[in-house]
Amino acid sequence: MFSCNSGGADAKDNLSAVLCGINDLRLEQRPVPKPRDHRKYLSPNKPSQCTPTLEVLLQMESVGICGSDVHFLVHGKIGPFVVTDPMIIGHEASGTVVEIGKKVKTLKPGDRVAIEPGVGCRMCSYCKEGRYHLCPDMAFCATPPIDGNLSRFFAHDEDFCFKLPDHLTYDEGALMEPLAVAVHSLKQANFRLGQVLLVMGAGPIGLVTMLAGKAIGASAVLVTDTEDFRLKKAKDFGADCVYQMCEDKPEDEIVQEIKEELGCEPHATIDCAGAVQAIRISLKVTRTGGVVVLTGMGQLEMNIPLTSAIFREVDIKGVFRYNNDYPMAIDMVASGRANVKPLVTHHFKIEDTVKAFETAKTREGNPIKIMIHPNPNWQHCL
Amino acid sequence: MGPKARPKCRLATVSPHKLRIQNPESRNMWIRRPLLGHEASGTVLEVGKNVKTLKPGDRVAIEPGVGCRTCSFCKKGKYHLCSDMIFCASPPYDGNLCRYYVHDADFCFKLPDNVSLEEGTLIEPLAVGVHACKRAKVRFGDVVLILGAGPIGLVTLLAAKAMGATKTIITDLVGGRLDKAKELGVDYTLKIEKNMTEVETVSKIGELLQEAPDVSLECTGVEQCVRVALEATKTGGVVALVGLGKFELTLPLENAILREVDIRGVFRYNNDYPAAIEMVKTGKVDLKPLITHHFRIQDSGKAFHMAKTGEGNPIKILIHPNPDDYY
Repeated sequence: MFSCNSGGADAKDNLSAVLCGINDLRLEQRPVPKPRDHRKYLSPNKPSQCTPTLEVLLQMESVGICGSDVHFLVHGKIGPFVVTDPMIIGHEASGTVVEIGKKVKTLKPGDRVAIEPGVGCRMCSYCKEGRYHLCPDMAFCATPPIDGNLSRFFAHDEDFCFKLPDHLTYDEGALMEPLAVAVHSLKQANFRLGQVLLVMGAGPIGLVTMLAGKAIGASAVLVTDTEDFRLKKAKDFGADCVYQMCEDKPEDEIVQEIKEELGCEPHATIDCAGAVQAIRISLKVTRTGGVVVLTGMGQLEMNIPLTSAIFREVDIKGVFRYNNDYPMAIDMVASGRANVKPLVTHHFKIEDTVKAFETAKTREGNPIKIMIHPNPNWQHCL
Repeated sequence: MGPKARPKCRLATVSPHKLRIQNPESRNMWIRRPLLGHEASGTVLEVGKNVKTLKPGDRVAIEPGVGCRTCSFCKKGKYHLCSDMIFCASPPYDGNLCRYYVHDADFCFKLPDNVSLEEGTLIEPLAVGVHACKRAKVRFGDVVLILGAGPIGLVTLLAAKAMGATKTIITDLVGGRLDKAKELGVDYTLKIEKNMTEVETVSKIGELLQEAPDVSLECTGVEQCVRVALEATKTGGVVALVGLGKFELTLPLENAILREVDIRGVFRYNNDYPAAIEMVKTGKVDLKPLITHHFRIQDSGKAFHMAKTGEGNPIKILIHPNPDDYY
């Protein structure tokens, strides 16, 4: 499972997976970056900002495919972010430090790290107030126009690389990114030990949210989905109970059945589906005084039963990525409280990236998390 | 560090704690001859090429402490707790009591047209007051006790009132300071006599307020005052410790524990300049009564002498490095 280092500054092979257009993913060579220890522009769109960055050069080991990567491939855009120029894809990743900038103090070559892909400008009020994920000049891997990290080598800010404990694999390191989304969602829900959690949607995000909820100490977690086999996986991975959503069933009946299955109303409901029906149910089923957290993204406009949430003081909170959540995500896995290994179902070498994305698109073999491995020495071990 | 703006340092105030530097414990520091000054405002003369938020001619209040921006404190929004903080006039770093000074642009805050450069220098201590009140969770309708009517007690009073405290009381040994607090709008004052016991002090506070304060802001650092704060505060309330005194204090903690009176330390400020400036702009806070003396930069020695001795009963002494200012 552990790949060995191969080259650093001398290596010329920086094969990278580049999104060149809709359904046009190509493997191309890119220059091996040099880790910077001076100012650089973080956001090419707004070169007015520049901040101190101390960088490390990483040999990339595991890069997971996210739904957003697939979305960019198939649609060429997500909301205001449009792929106009070739862009390296990938943002859920881990790697090995091979070279460090002059002033880097916390990392050294050989260190294995999970990579937090989004760096703020560090100077605006959002960044200074600790909410750097909301920075308007955020530079996020594989959100245009910023290149992602599905390449053999990648340079990144030192303080956004988190050392992995020895017993964690690179795959687990790459899973810190979706797990951080889950941690952030649970923070937004103000979720506490002993509370009851409802998770709508048993895709990868729903599953890590369930795992993180259990890790924090949920007394029970119920996961819903429309698909039977996804619910089975949720149960296998530790969900206390599951419920199959049906589009045709009346909402109030669904609400009642969920309450019966859980034995009570949930303190918090985290929607990881982005589907209107799921969000509507979330607002109706959550306990008075509870919280509904919307992590999944769907339609821009939705018809929702707001009045009940208002006079029952059910708060509604959005989720966008994460901030300062990697340490907790790493702790959850390192302590054994969350087991994310079973989420990885498929492995590909970087040369087979196109196949990997095909698998993600067609869902052949029912993938949960597909891992791509840019290290040429990577070998699949069982 | 981030992009620089270069404010021409127009005014700087003298803060009492600077006097500690005159205790030459560190020989290295004296050999280096550090610059003093950290409560300042200035006019932008020149900006680095990447600065977009300020332009020459802008008048700014200068937030003197810049964190490293990369550690977990900085990234969590608590840059004031950064262990690599660079703070004006905190050794080994120079301050800004000089004619020209360069600073990070995002730590220079444009002053509204109706706020003078003189008021701009007092944004720094006012930010301490704002931060203290945030730490103490001062809310609209709160009853607030402030111990100490020195400059920090006074700006804390101003901030507490602006943040909604509807009943305020301030204590001090010195009658003149309490008079100033009355001028600034405090509801009740209590002059502490040397022979007053803690029990008497707590009792008198209760009598004046007709209830216990929700929040106490301790701005003296004196052990007896910290004790009074813990005993006087309402059950379930908060005591914010702003003043710095002895390292070791003997305190009636059990009282605070059993009554769930939270004790919260206060250190400088973070992200408080915008709120402080807004308070002055809208007239919720009037800083002008705090400014009592002016000196040219050439007379800094005299200014510090006054601050040290208290001669003339100064509250805030302003030093003016701009040779065009006539004082």
